[in-house]
Amino acid sequence: MNLQRIAAVASKEWRETIRDRIFVLLAFLLPILWMIVFGYGLVQDVENIPFAVLDRDHSALSRDYLYRFLESRYFIFQGYMPSENEADALLQGGKIRVVIIIPEKLQERLLRGQSVSVQTLIDGTFPLRTDIVKGYVIAINNAFSEERLADYFSRRNGIAVEQAEAQVRPIKLEVRYLYNEEVRSTWSMVPALVMFTLMVSSPLLTALGIVREKETGSIYNIYSSTVTRFEFLAGKLLPYVAISSVNALVLWIMATFWFGVPFKGSLWFFLAASVVFVLSSTGIGLVVSLLVRTQIAALVITMVASMLPTILYSGLIVPVSSLSSGSQVQAHLFPGMYYTNIVRGTFLKGVGPEVLWMDVLALAIYAVILRTVGYWLFTKRPRS
Amino acid sequence: MKSMSGPRSHRAIVWWRRLAVMTRKEMVQLSRDVPIGLLLAYSFTLAVYLTGNGIRSQLHNASLLVQDADHSFSSRELIHKFKAPFFRLEGEIADPQEGLRWLDRGKAMAVLEIPPRFHEQLVTGEPTAVQLLVDTTNAPQGLSAASYAARIVGQFGQETALARLRGMEESSQNLPVIVSDHRVWYNPDQNDTWFESISHLLRQITIFAILLPAAAMVREKERGTVEQLLVSPLTPFQIMLPKVLAMTLVILCATAVALFGVMRPAFGVPIKGSIPLFFSLTALFVFTTAGIGLAAATLTRNQAQVGMMTLLVVAPMLLLSGLVAPIEALPTWTRNLMILSPLRYFIEIAHGILLKGSDLTILWDSVLAMALLGGVLFGFGMWKFRRQFE
Repeated sequence: MNLQRIAAVASKEWRETIRDRIFVLLAFLLPILWMIVFGYGLVQDVENIPFAVLDRDHSALSRDYLYRFLESRYFIFQGYMPSENEADALLQGGKIRVVIIIPEKLQERLLRGQSVSVQTLIDGTFPLRTDIVKGYVIAINNAFSEERLADYFSRRNGIAVEQAEAQVRPIKLEVRYLYNEEVRSTWSMVPALVMFTLMVSSPLLTALGIVREKETGSIYNIYSSTVTRFEFLAGKLLPYVAISSVNALVLWIMATFWFGVPFKGSLWFFLAASVVFVLSSTGIGLVVSLLVRTQIAALVITMVASMLPTILYSGLIVPVSSLSSGSQVQAHLFPGMYYTNIVRGTFLKGVGPEVLWMDVLALAIYAVILRTVGYWLFTKRPRS
Repeated sequence: MKSMSGPRSHRAIVWWRRLAVMTRKEMVQLSRDVPIGLLLAYSFTLAVYLTGNGIRSQLHNASLLVQDADHSFSSRELIHKFKAPFFRLEGEIADPQEGLRWLDRGKAMAVLEIPPRFHEQLVTGEPTAVQLLVDTTNAPQGLSAASYAARIVGQFGQETALARLRGMEESSQNLPVIVSDHRVWYNPDQNDTWFESISHLLRQITIFAILLPAAAMVREKERGTVEQLLVSPLTPFQIMLPKVLAMTLVILCATAVALFGVMRPAFGVPIKGSIPLFFSLTALFVFTTAGIGLAAATLTRNQAQVGMMTLLVVAPMLLLSGLVAPIEALPTWTRNLMILSPLRYFIEIAHGILLKGSDLTILWDSVLAMALLGGVLFGFGMWKFRRQFE
C-alpha cells in the first residue's frame, strides 16, 4: 500500500467530481433542499379531515353533538347531505372521508335514558387514516356519552353534576411524553431525515462515480497502472466519504439551528458514528457499481436498493418493532435502521455509546463486509 | 385525389414503421441489461409481496412494560385490556427507574404505572389515576399509543363505574350513551396488505417510469449515438417517443404481473372497477412521469447529473404525494406543491378503480390534471431537445 498513490487517485477523483459543476452543486444542495422540503412538508399530524353530515334528528342535542366535530381541529365540515344516497359518490370522489349519520329521535332517546347508535361511514382506502379517524370519533363519542351519563345520574340520584361526572369517569390516564415533551412531529422527523438524506444520496454519489469510469473506458488507465486494487478503491471512495461526512455535519447544523431540534447527546459521538455510517452507505454504492457495467443500471439499482428500503424499513415512519418478523429481518439487513437509532438517540434521548454501541458496531461490520465484497469483486483483469 | 392520398398513407406507414423499429431498438437495448431485468423482476414480484405482508402503518406491537404496584383483580383486568395487535406486553418491572432504562435503550415504547390501592379506590368510587410514559421520538406513533391507551382506560373505567352505579336493576341498553357504529367502506376488514401492496406497486412504477427513459436518453447523448440518430431521417419526436413507449410497455407488463401474480392471489386485492381503464390510466401515468425524467434529461449533460436530478424530484414525489402520510395531513404549501406530482393523481385513480370501483365520471378531474401535466412536461422536453441540436 502506498499512501501517495491513494492520494493521487483521490485527488484525480476529486478534481473529476468538482469539475462537473452541476453534479457537485446537486451533491451538496440535495441534502439541504430535502431537509427543507421534508422537514416542513412531511408533517404527519392527521388533521382537517373533510366530513359531511346527515342529521335526521334536527334537535338541540344533535346540534350539540355535531358541534364537537365542528369545533375539533381534526375535522373540517363540508356540509349537510340531504340523503344517504349521496354518501357513495362523495366518498368515492375523495372530497369527503367521513360521513356521520345521526338517527331520528336521538334527543328523545337520550333524555329518556336510552342508548343511541350513531353511524359513521369512513373511507377505508388508507388504513392509517381510517384508524386515526376512528380514534377521533370514538373519543368524541365517549366524551359526549360521559356528559350525558353525568347529567342522567345527577338527575336520577339527585347529586351535583360534578360529582356524577367523577363517578362516571373513575380512572384518569396521566400521559407523560418522554424525549419529545410537546410531541412535535418536526422533532421526531428531522433527525430521521438526516438518516434518510445520507442513506439515499451517498450510495448514489459513489456508484455513479465508479461506473462512470467503467462506462467511459477510462478505467483501462487504472488497469494498466501501478495502482493496486486496494489503493484504487480507497482513493476512489475518499472524496465521496468526505462529501457525505460534510453533508452529515451540514444536516446536523440545519437540524439544531434551523429546525431547533434539541441535541441532547455528544456531538463528537454523533459525528464519529456518522462517519461510520457514511462508510457503510458508500459501501452500498461501491458494491453496486462493481456489479454492473452501465450507469443506468447503477442508477436504478442504487435508487431502488437504497430509497425504498429506507422509506419502509429504517424506522423513518413505521417503527421496526411493528414490522412483521420477515420484514424485521429485512430491516436489520439495511444500515438505515441502526443509524436511525443513533440519530434519534443522540438528538432526543441524549444517550451515548453506552446504549448505542451495538448500533455503531453493526454499522462498522456492515462497512467492513461491503468493502471486503467490493475488494473481492474488483479485478484489474476485466472479465469478458 | 387518389394519387394524393397514396404517398400520404405511404408516409404514414413509414412514420409508424420507424416508430416501431425505434421502439424495438429500445426494448432490445433494455433486455440486454441483465441487472436491470433482474431488478425489475424482483421489484414487481417479491418486493411487492414482502412490503404488502410486512408493513403495518397503524400502531402495531407497541412494546409495553407494566409497573403494577397493586397486584389486584382490577389491575390485572386493566393490564389484559392492553392487547394485540396494538400492544405487546413485554413484561413487568418493579422499579420505575428500570422502565426509564428500557425506554432509553428503545426496548420498550411505553410504560404503564398502576398505583397501589387501585382496586380499593375503584370499588369505593374514589377517583384514581394511572400513568403512562410514552416514547415520542417517533411522534405519530407515540400519540397513537397514548390515544389507544386513553380509549382502553376510559372504557375500563366507565364499565366498572356503571357496574357499580347501576347495580342490578338495569341492562346496558338503558343508559343515555352514544354507541359508535363504524362502517368502513372500500376495505371493510381494514386489510393493511391491500394498501401497502398497492402503495408499493405505485412507488415502483414511479421510480422506473422516471429513471428508465431519462437514463436511456442521456446515455445516448453521452455516448454520442444521438448524433447518429439525428442525421437519420428520424424526427426528434420519433427519437424520444419510442424510449417512452418501450418503457411504458415494460412497466405495464410488470404491473400486470404484480397485480395478477402477486397481489390478487396472495392478498386478495380486489379490482372493483374496469381492468382496461386501470391499465390505460397506468399507461398515461407512466407517460406523464416519464415526461419528468425526459425534462430532467434535457437539462443535464451526463448520467451522473441526471441521477442526482431525478433523485431530487423522486424522493418528494414518493414521500409527499399521499402514500406515507394522508394528503390531508400535509401542510397547505406541500399540498400545493404536490399539484405538480402526477403520483398524487394516480393514487386517487388507483385506489378509485381498484378498491372503490370508480369510473371516469368520478375520476375525470384527476385524469385531466395528469394528462395536462404530462402534456406540458413532454412538450417542454421535446422543445429543449430540439433546441439542443438545431
